[in-house]
Amino acid sequence: MTVLEKEQKERYRRQIAVVSEEGQEKIGKTRLLIAGAGGIGSAAALFSAMAGFGSIRIIDPDCIEETNLNRQLLYRETDIGRPKADTAAKALHAMNSDIDVEPVTATIGTTPVRDLIYGIDVIIDGLDNYPARYAIADAAWKCGIPFIHGAAEGFYGQVCTIVPPISPCLRCIVPNPPPARQTPIIGVTTGIIGCVQVTEAIKLATSTGIPMSDYLWLWEGFREKADRLKIERVPACHICGKDEYQIPTTERVL
Amino acid sequence: MKVHVKAFATFREVMDSQFEMDFPVGATIRTLLAELMGRYDGLGELMFADPGTLRDFVNILKNGRNVHFLAGLDTPLDDGDVIALFPPIAGG
Repeated sequence: MTVLEKEQKERYRRQIAVVSEEGQEKIGKTRLLIAGAGGIGSAAALFSAMAGFGSIRIIDPDCIEETNLNRQLLYRETDIGRPKADTAAKALHAMNSDIDVEPVTATIGTTPVRDLIYGIDVIIDGLDNYPARYAIADAAWKCGIPFIHGAAEGFYGQVCTIVPPISPCLRCIVPNPPPARQTPIIGVTTGIIGCVQVTEAIKLATSTGIPMSDYLWLWEGFREKADRLKIERVPACHICGKDEYQIPTTERVL
Repeated sequence: MKVHVKAFATFREVMDSQFEMDFPVGATIRTLLAELMGRYDGLGELMFADPGTLRDFVNILKNGRNVHFLAGLDTPLDDGDVIALFPPIAGG
């Protein structure tokens, strides 16, 4: 039995033609966490709000800077200096007043991760560094929450949907993080990655399609190519495997 | 034996995106990287912190499994292997 109201049926009419009323209802009941309100997070949050995800928690510790405006499409010039999470929440609510949006201005690593992911059904990774990704993804794995990983650099991007307990975890794919640095980035790449992640979230919410859970999807905008890279779960992984495993440091090659 | 090599992201700026290589029995990931470094200028700088030391965040997958979890650079190559090389993309 559907509980969509008349206004919702009209608002989502074109989308219901794809996902059915039951599917739209499931999207409406899905509680989404957007971790990071930067380039990827902005795009993912915007399309999530438009799709009608009924509850969106959006987390970011930062305030809006001028250099964000080439890609972070939730923000305007007049928003410079304002907290990202609050500003994003206002923009999302203006886009869709039917949904609940909860802004959280917090740094992952100093705020308990379990508090940040509490009550969440699906997490979208809009983060810009691996220590924060590991913190959220590890906790999500332990709590059985799907984590839709996404990252972008220049014209390159990647997405993988981590679905515990069946898929590889983030540590199986990227066991060692690259050094922190300011990543060169172009807005369209973050938009593409955020949109692919929301596609995955819709598939998970409606239990349709096959999530990208056993491969890494790699986008290369410069040559307009998308590739799938098969990923296998690692029995020795210290997060999703059974055995304790120490990540090696640098190795001599020659 | 034949090994299929695939490169992704910024590695594609200095090397071919996919190709086959021939190796004698007993070759390892270390053998493959040495061959690639001889073949592609600029690859060494992306993959190695200093001559001979692989950057630990460089991902090398053998048939989908990161060699960090196998025998690292001593992971043996087998006929028909797909070896994927990619640096993790971090930005958001």
